[in-house]
Amino acid sequence: MLRRRNLLTTLLIALPWALLLTLWHQYPTTRYLSLLKKETDENVTSKALVNGTSALREEGLPSCMRQQQSMVATRKVIQNYVYSRPPPWSDNLPTIFVITPTYTRPVQKAELTRLANTFLHVQNLHWVVVEDSPRRTNLVSNLLEKAGLNFTHLNVETPKSLKLGLSWIPSHTPRGTLQRNLGLHWLRNSFSNAAPPEGVVYFADDDNTYSLELFEEMRYTRRVSVWPVAFVGGLRYESPKVSPAGKVVGWKTVFDPNRPFAIDMAGFAISIKLILEKPQASFKLEGVKGGYQETSLLKDLVTMDGLEPKAANCTKVLVWHTRTERPTLVNEGKRGFTDPRVEV
Amino acid sequence: MRLKLRNVFVAYFLASLGGLLYALLQLGQPCDCRQRRGGAPDGGEGRERGAAGPGRPEPGGGQRPPGPGGPRLPPPALPPPELPPELPTIYVVTPTYARLVQKAELVRLSQTLLHVPRLHWVVVEDAPGPSALVAALLAQSGLRFTHLHAPTPPPRRPRPGDPAWLRPRGAEQRNRALQWLRDTRPAEPAVVYFADDDNTYSLRLFEEMRSTRRVAVWPVGLVGGLRFERPLVERGRVVGFHAAWKPERPFPLDMAGFAVALRLLLARPGARFDPRAERGYLESSLLQGLVSREQLEPKADNCTRVLVWHTRTEKPKMRQEEQLQRQGLGSDPRVEV
Repeated sequence: MLRRRNLLTTLLIALPWALLLTLWHQYPTTRYLSLLKKETDENVTSKALVNGTSALREEGLPSCMRQQQSMVATRKVIQNYVYSRPPPWSDNLPTIFVITPTYTRPVQKAELTRLANTFLHVQNLHWVVVEDSPRRTNLVSNLLEKAGLNFTHLNVETPKSLKLGLSWIPSHTPRGTLQRNLGLHWLRNSFSNAAPPEGVVYFADDDNTYSLELFEEMRYTRRVSVWPVAFVGGLRYESPKVSPAGKVVGWKTVFDPNRPFAIDMAGFAISIKLILEKPQASFKLEGVKGGYQETSLLKDLVTMDGLEPKAANCTKVLVWHTRTERPTLVNEGKRGFTDPRVEV
Repeated sequence: MRLKLRNVFVAYFLASLGGLLYALLQLGQPCDCRQRRGGAPDGGEGRERGAAGPGRPEPGGGQRPPGPGGPRLPPPALPPPELPPELPTIYVVTPTYARLVQKAELVRLSQTLLHVPRLHWVVVEDAPGPSALVAALLAQSGLRFTHLHAPTPPPRRPRPGDPAWLRPRGAEQRNRALQWLRDTRPAEPAVVYFADDDNTYSLRLFEEMRSTRRVAVWPVGLVGGLRFERPLVERGRVVGFHAAWKPERPFPLDMAGFAVALRLLLARPGARFDPRAERGYLESSLLQGLVSREQLEPKADNCTRVLVWHTRTEKPKMRQEEQLQRQGLGSDPRVEV
């Protein structure tokens, strides 16, 4: 027989616990605490400690991790695992904002891992990863947190109707459009046009290959810079046609060279200032023919004679449009041969 | 009695409330877990900065057009922290062969390897001589490297009509690397890892393998028709293998799934890869001469984590290129891709 008093008592006991549980999930710091408990993860490199003195590795390690590490370090002579760090942030260098749309598939973790390994060499890089999913996945969140890069993690799901409906040719499905637009939207929200930061935006797909030189080429873009890209358009490389005066006058492609911008997504970078100046410029979803996605953005930003050719007047190839084979998981069978709890 | 019980409840309530408020206050403290700003640079050995020469972007604001000398490389990292001399060296043996994506694959592999301290990259080309492309790439990479070459004899070389999955085996190239290691390396604590140029490696993998005493093994992702293949481990020893493709092999592992201590290779000078081994038995042909199953050392948390993925890169479509070449208008071959 529940009396009011007993009910009240029970409520008063349950209330603080409910409070704790709700607030625990909100605070981002608790996620770091839970990360401490998990062993330091995959994408880390080691430095040896001798007899537990870990002076060298203290810089850059978050303070909460430091205590954990030094406690364990004393026992082994060769201890390991600190995060690989990008070069220190410089206040004088323009920032490179790299927008990478990604989606869940077996090779996703591998692709993002090796991309992170590349970006860790680039100074002043901010990685904007936009997942094509209804929720940010743990796989990507953990990877980003442990990589050590400056990052922003976003997500937006491409509606199924868009994935299938727009084109009957699978190769022309505008994959990643919504995600790239969300990246641009985040940039416009994060920075104001009144005081634009020095920097560029680059759309980097997660399966391409980027040389480190490329990032230094694009860093000082004034408006939109362009360069050759390998393995696109059925060619060894596609490139802009550059006049002896150093201006872009056309496109060396076989596939529709008369497009206003016959260039691959990996072949150009836009200065932040320009993105903020033209807030309505974004990738179009509707009515975009195959190969015209880049044009749909660039036409609102710049004209051909305003393009800046890089990579030695577009004679060097610094980015390759590699594609990773889809692994044939034939032996998994219907019920899955391997343990689904192991993240791949 | 009822009064006392209620007091107990009240006391409990106050105590738990107090404790929870304390915990909540702790949560509110900003933990400086920002790993980004002002972090120490990654370590690394004395790197050989290649012929290109590192440039240095000038401090002091404003944009600056790129100099006439070409692209500027990023500023060199701060001097690496002191590494104890007893840190074992990792020799990464990569067989490679000329194809369109070769440069791209080697570039991104070098970007991963550049993070690993005390690493020596042994690149063996399937070619009669060293190529300029690979030589230039290695010189510019910033890594410690050795550039070798060993051509695959004609019967085993893949012919133009062969299917895409029938790729060069790399046995002769890896054997050439083994020969170089045996000829030139002293018996030091070091580890040898056979890393193909199209796989993906996480940085932690290299630290896992550094402590190899004989032969260490770990899971490999996306191989053998599975999400991952792995050794089965009980009480710290390998008792079997979880693989679906040819599981009857003596060592049903992928090349990327094991590393061998240099001392063991030097102690068994006869151990090498058998180029005539059946598909899938290449790894076993080496390991059989080195170690027994019981002696394998499981890494990666008793082989429960995937730290390397057997990714493969698609062959790029060259239809338009071929078209142009038939018309004599192919792309400039002097532009290296």
